[in-house]
Amino acid sequence: MLLVLTVSNGLHFLVAWEVFAVCGYFLITLDGNKRAVRTAGWLYLATSHAGTLCLCVFFGLLAVKTGGWELGPLRGDASLAPLFWLALAGFGIKAGIFPLHIWLPSAHANAPSHVSALMSGVAIKMGVYGIVRFSGWLPVPAAAGWVVMALGATSALLGIAFALAQNDFKRLLAYCSVENIGIIMIGIGGALLARSHGDAAWGRLALAGALLHVWNHGAFKALLFFGAGSVLHATGTREMSRLGGLWQRMPWTAGLFALGAVAVVGLPPLNGFVSEWLIYLGLFDAVAGKQASAWVAMPAAILLGLAGALALATFAKAGAMIFLGAARTKSAALAHECGNWMRGPMLALAGICLGLGLVPTLVWPALTSAAGAWQPVQSGGLSDCGNGEADGQRAGYPHHSGPGIVPAAVIGLTIGETHAAKPSAGGAPAMAEVPLATLGWVQLGLAGLMAAAGTLLWRKVMANNLRRGPTWDCGYAAPAARMQYTSGSFAGLASAWFSWILRPLRTMRRVHGHFPAEAIYQERVPETVLDMVILPLAARGMQVSAAVRRLQHGHLSFYILYVVVALAALASLVLLENVP
Amino acid sequence: MKLLLDLILRIDCWLLLAPLLPGIINKVKAWVAGRRGPPVLQLYYDLARLWKKGVVMSTLASPAFVILPALTWVALLSAAMLMPLGPLGAGLTFRGDALVLLYLLALGRFCTVWAAMETGSAFEGMGTVREVSYAVLAEAALIAAVLSLSVQSGSIALATMLGPPLGAGAVLLAAGLFIILLAENCRVPFDDPNTHLELAMIHEAMVLDHSGPPLAAILHGASMKLLLFAVLLVQAVLPIGQLQPLAAAAVLAAGVLGVTVAVGLVESLWARFAFRRVPLLLTTAFLLCLFALLVAWKGGPA
Repeated sequence: MLLVLTVSNGLHFLVAWEVFAVCGYFLITLDGNKRAVRTAGWLYLATSHAGTLCLCVFFGLLAVKTGGWELGPLRGDASLAPLFWLALAGFGIKAGIFPLHIWLPSAHANAPSHVSALMSGVAIKMGVYGIVRFSGWLPVPAAAGWVVMALGATSALLGIAFALAQNDFKRLLAYCSVENIGIIMIGIGGALLARSHGDAAWGRLALAGALLHVWNHGAFKALLFFGAGSVLHATGTREMSRLGGLWQRMPWTAGLFALGAVAVVGLPPLNGFVSEWLIYLGLFDAVAGKQASAWVAMPAAILLGLAGALALATFAKAGAMIFLGAARTKSAALAHECGNWMRGPMLALAGICLGLGLVPTLVWPALTSAAGAWQPVQSGGLSDCGNGEADGQRAGYPHHSGPGIVPAAVIGLTIGETHAAKPSAGGAPAMAEVPLATLGWVQLGLAGLMAAAGTLLWRKVMANNLRRGPTWDCGYAAPAARMQYTSGSFAGLASAWFSWILRPLRTMRRVHGHFPAEAIYQERVPETVLDMVILPLAARGMQVSAAVRRLQHGHLSFYILYVVVALAALASLVLLENVP
Repeated sequence: MKLLLDLILRIDCWLLLAPLLPGIINKVKAWVAGRRGPPVLQLYYDLARLWKKGVVMSTLASPAFVILPALTWVALLSAAMLMPLGPLGAGLTFRGDALVLLYLLALGRFCTVWAAMETGSAFEGMGTVREVSYAVLAEAALIAAVLSLSVQSGSIALATMLGPPLGAGAVLLAAGLFIILLAENCRVPFDDPNTHLELAMIHEAMVLDHSGPPLAAILHGASMKLLLFAVLLVQAVLPIGQLQPLAAAAVLAAGVLGVTVAVGLVESLWARFAFRRVPLLLTTAFLLCLFALLVAWKGGPA
């Protein structure tokens, strides 16, 4: 995988990419004796190769147009722009943007949990990396920003809607990855839009947010998958409706999962909030700029808010179903805490989440240099130097610039003139300041206050005498674990709003008659895009192929007949050509 | 020193004044119904009493059940510190603080919801589901409202966002924000804070199992949230930034009082909506805020 990041030759890139994709297949199918795992691995392999096909065509055409496999900044050549769509499709499959995400839920759910953590945390980011790398180097079509942002907003909203409706907690986490990739894509789309409007200040913000979110998502999603893995290890089931009350047996896992949940929902004082905040700032600036790009930034901001609120519902559900309340089955009641080797990595990742949240200025120099490398400041003649990173440094992105401020000096100097020419972008250079340091202090203060208030209240309660009793179920004498809300009933209200796309499959048998049989209610949310679009299409393709396949029946005499007919046809073609 | 004094004054203002609002609402309701009603200071007495009481905790709940109300309270207090108070300004103002405020409210919600689910009660589950689901729509409306303020003022800092007059969109925004206020604070058309029929409740159902000091924190936090939204509504709509400091303070106080009385009147004159109609009302709020946004966009200086 590292190879993909370091090569600068198109052919080598393709080979490295393929090796990386195939390794992914073997990692997913580590438990290859289960049917579901093999199916998931096969689906992954097929979609991954569809993506690689796009990339083959992309690099091939690139090589034909530029006359070599060497990769490098090629901004000047506008004829390369349409190639961006190929790259978007190829890398988009890997990243799991919404309509292309079909492999992602089953692969993440069926892979061993540490592999899921690796795939969700790092592997799908390679798709994001590809999009960022090639959109930085190549000219992009004018519509690219709009499309990427729209795709991102769709992914964010629908990904989290699917996540909310899941009952399998690893599938839930996988769909949540689709949401987070959507958030990242919103940021990248903002950057592309800003570039096509020659108005880089808010684009840089959005890009910085997106890149930071790549890191953050890697940290908290890996943490959540490790938590999920330890629950799976302890109970042997992935169904949330069979769990509950696990905090008593697994307090460490429960606490760390809760921390990861706060981070993934994007709540202060953890890291998820910092990156979402940066993306929001970019979008708000875009809207306040009142240019054409505001038309797409405005719905994106609102959809991002919607996705955030749905994420809150999703992770409240996941945490509550797995860890809170009473155990719903015996296996949940007999769970055991994970060992030190499983807890260590979770603690480390939780530390990263906390650290990035409380001291966000730590990563700011890295972010600005990356954003600078992606889009060198247009002071002329820089885009032809070989390596993107050198661009950023040569463009004078001051690594020592006061943390918490977008290198405002640079933007003010070089982009400022373009702004001055456009009165509609009113005061954008001043807007480019990001008080990241202030946000860091706010987060720190918030965390400190929370710790203090929590301790104070705990002490007060202890001093006042704490008694234990059964849950007060409004006077009902014998509350039972089965009376709790289940994962399906928790999601019911909000996911009903998305039933047009979720298409839940229901099996229901009501109680009726004098001696009623068992009543049944089952609900399952399928992978709609796969089951209702791709598979029917594939079945149609198989029908056609099966019809064509009848030509291959193994009778030698007929094959000779094919050859004779083909020869005759060719001969007649040649003869007819020569007649006039 | 002056800074410290200012901070203490501001915290006192939020801590001490907030519990007045539910008292005023109850007084208005009693007055409309022709009753004497509880004293305006009733919530203060309740808080003082609860603070001294012991706590009963469910056997299913973890220690977090007691701590989480404190975290909610801190989140709401921090949000209040970011909210400018007319001539006083905000405790802390920076670019993007409006979004921090929104997410602090979400953090408060997350903590409440987590504590509610600790008990494993079906009623708490019911309240939680409603809370998180309706919050999705309310969040969209709030983001649209903040966007419209931001477009109007060309800024993302609350202190500058809430200054200038809003023009034609003000009426739309006021209506939208008022509906959000009712929804976020679980007031009448969405929820009935007085009911004892648990099936019909949202917020009250989530805090059924709390008692003693944690319940006091929850009640106080809820009253701060109500004050927060009232202050936001008044400052978003009225051009307070252009008045003299004293007049601004007076207008702000009168505005908050007006909003409180209006909440009381709505509660006296309307019945709670059926739950399937709640999303409709919230969507209306969203559309109002969206139209306010479009008006701000097209109407403001280009």
